[in-house]
Amino acid sequence: MSNTSSEVAKGPHHSGGAAPSALSARNITKRFPGVLANDNVDFDVRPGEVHTLLGENGAGKSTLAAMLCGLYQPDSGTIARNGAPVVLSSPRAGLSHGIAMVHQHFRLVERFTVAENVVLGSRDLSYTLKRAELNDRVAEVAERYGLPVDPSATVGDLSVGQRQRVEIVKALYQGAEILLLDEPTAVLVPAEVEKLFENVHAMTATGKSIVFISHKLGEVVEISDRVTVLRNGRVTGHVSGRGSADTRELARLMVGRDIDLAVQRASHATGHEVLQIRDLSLTVNGIDVLSNISFNVHEGEMVGIAGVAGNGQKELADTIAGLVSPTSGSVSIGGSMSTDRGPIAARELGLAYVPEDRLGMGLVPSMSILDNLLLTRDRDTVVDRASVKPEANRLIDQFEIKANGPEHLARKLSGGNAQKVLLARELSGGRTATKLLVVCSPTRGLDVGAIETVRRLLDDARSAGQAILLISEDLDEIMSLADRILVLYRGAIVHETTGESAQLTTVGAAMAGLTQEVQQ
Amino acid sequence: MNLPFRLAFEQRTETPRRLAVMVPLLSVLAAIVAGGIFLFATGYSPFETYSNMLSDGFFSSTGITDTLGLSTVLICTGIAAAFAFQMNLYNIGGEGQLYLGMIGGAWAGLFFGDRLPGFVMIPVVLLVGAACGALWIALPAFVRARLGTSEIVTTLLLTYIGASLVNHFIYRAGSYFRAPNTLFPQGRQVPDSAMLSPLGDTTMYPTFFLVTVLAVFLWWVVRRTEFGYRIQVISDSPRAARYAGISAQRTTVQVMMISGALSGLGGATLIVGTFGRLDPGIVLLGYGYAGIVIAALARNNMAAIIVSGILFAGLRTGGDKLQISTDTPIHIGVMLQGAILLFALGGEAFRRYRVKVVRMQTATAQGAAQ
Repeated sequence: MSNTSSEVAKGPHHSGGAAPSALSARNITKRFPGVLANDNVDFDVRPGEVHTLLGENGAGKSTLAAMLCGLYQPDSGTIARNGAPVVLSSPRAGLSHGIAMVHQHFRLVERFTVAENVVLGSRDLSYTLKRAELNDRVAEVAERYGLPVDPSATVGDLSVGQRQRVEIVKALYQGAEILLLDEPTAVLVPAEVEKLFENVHAMTATGKSIVFISHKLGEVVEISDRVTVLRNGRVTGHVSGRGSADTRELARLMVGRDIDLAVQRASHATGHEVLQIRDLSLTVNGIDVLSNISFNVHEGEMVGIAGVAGNGQKELADTIAGLVSPTSGSVSIGGSMSTDRGPIAARELGLAYVPEDRLGMGLVPSMSILDNLLLTRDRDTVVDRASVKPEANRLIDQFEIKANGPEHLARKLSGGNAQKVLLARELSGGRTATKLLVVCSPTRGLDVGAIETVRRLLDDARSAGQAILLISEDLDEIMSLADRILVLYRGAIVHETTGESAQLTTVGAAMAGLTQEVQQ
Repeated sequence: MNLPFRLAFEQRTETPRRLAVMVPLLSVLAAIVAGGIFLFATGYSPFETYSNMLSDGFFSSTGITDTLGLSTVLICTGIAAAFAFQMNLYNIGGEGQLYLGMIGGAWAGLFFGDRLPGFVMIPVVLLVGAACGALWIALPAFVRARLGTSEIVTTLLLTYIGASLVNHFIYRAGSYFRAPNTLFPQGRQVPDSAMLSPLGDTTMYPTFFLVTVLAVFLWWVVRRTEFGYRIQVISDSPRAARYAGISAQRTTVQVMMISGALSGLGGATLIVGTFGRLDPGIVLLGYGYAGIVIAALARNNMAAIIVSGILFAGLRTGGDKLQISTDTPIHIGVMLQGAILLFALGGEAFRRYRVKVVRMQTATAQGAAQ
């Protein structure tokens, strides 16, 4: 597998190499109501190889993966295992051919131990579980591939990275030769990603095949032996050779045009303080979710809050937005105290809030774009929708929202367009002009084109003098947008740096709670 | 079991508009077919029975006015149920709130009977009835809003207490509501000033128009007002409501109280028309429970409840008359009512899922390959 010659070719790839494919798919077509999810797609993976499926959301990579593991059946086309045609009528049939998928959302029972989860669904279990024996068997499989897990640990106590490892061990235990990893890095911190990549190499070294599904260009280039790029259900390009792919070229194949995600920072001096947080603490059920947080955000400044999910980010945002009353400490917006006064009072002081959860918190899924624009505004006793319609149309144009008009239901919008509706509402001001914008994971799950737009909108808002608090788990995003970076770990700010001088390793270490290193 | 095919349910991304209309219609049709099979199996002619029911319920002059007369209370309990259901508040106790509305209405009629003129009396009876219905749901509403206690359980249990209360007021010697000097205990008739006259020589009262207007008004409230907007936000995503500073607690209490008031109003319409007194027979009629089915069939659409309410009233009047004209049991109407609910709820699956027949040949081919 020392194919170092780089070839970038459009159209279906025809493997002419000597190594036979462990798994191959030919002329796969899959249609869903109103969508051609896969259109005549060819794909194959050889033993000991990492072959990446790259594409934006909705490009068809998850659909293809689902057919490769037996979750869906193709409408037409053939799948072959070691050259012999197979029909994968269910995930269990896929497994019997040695194909397993590690889903983005883990399918583990939190109350069970690691070993119990791993053997769950095996058909060779006896009626009475011999725990010690099971633990040994699971530990043995885990060790063989350098995947350290404690078989007797309860899954509910494990970190996200550890849970992912359990999923992989489970697939290997079930005899998987081909592993499909669906967006495996989406939930991991940088150190965990590195660890995962080590595991991937350990598995390919023993001849396992990995199908890696991702839309993150940097890691794709790092891990892949080959890359197949999908766009709108079709293969748009194919790149072979580890490290030979060029991110710019991949992005172009993926999106269909050139993309610019360059670093953007405040180009002008920042003004006075818009958000002041003093000694903010929050205790929920006896647990300190936020402890002694103090910081300011100025006019025209973007402050980034970095951290692994679940370290108090959501609570911090909710407290600033007036949804939660802090146990102690204060929040003021534009010089006026907003603590304990509720979300409407906070908005009247100039707050706008884009929560992490777009559909279900920021937007009401069953309501139209127009009704969703009314959500955070003053409404008359008899709602006058006709008078809001022109503004709705204007915002749809201005924010380039792909919709049939103001009556388009929020739940029928793509992730990117839903986020644009949310930003359109929050940036355009409701009760008063927006002074402070709190945004949580604004680009999570969006495709590259939409990420570009959302980042530009945030940058424009900053240039217009709004104070922005960007709370995100995407460290790259914070590093390339924020003027100042604060790291939240277990509810406390453990590290502070400016955007220019931030070091990926230092910030990453602080996110993982390694504060000694950080404090130097 | 090795069938050559299996049924697969595929989730629909959206429900086609025609299905929203077709599913309730087909549910009714399916219920009629199922009822027909039952009739045939028990020795009655389905066609004859149904044509009798149809003409007795809808297509005779007394039939249609009896039906519209009965639909008055059913539309009331229907909109009462739907108003709560649309916010995912399952007020199952419309029946009990109806009893209380009747008690309240009868009390108002008896108490103010000789003191107030007729044009004030009727609204007073209706309002007191509605207020009593609202009062009967107040406790469930508050504990649901404050503590999250299941309103299904609390409203249902209060219905039994309501039924006991009706019996208590009728059977207790010397009760205010009891007619004096009758052989069998029965309710005391309210004065004429507290009663409306029927439309001509029918059993239909002007309250029918009141409740249809009310249903259309509530339809407008849900779609066009701030209150309706709030209900929609809370029912769809409670977290979005919190985010926007909309109080789910307050709206929960308001919606449940309105639901209770509507059932109570239904009870009071039986005082100003039809009965004219508190009648212990009410606990056997199940008008409040019928409202649940009527709301489900209309998919909680306030205006559509006028149609489903009339349909149900027709089934009942048709079924009742069947017993008199032929020897078909009265319960055929009630049975159809239950069948319609079952099919309407089952029909929901077709709105949300597409049913596909999957042939199994491929799987057996694969089985052979293994």
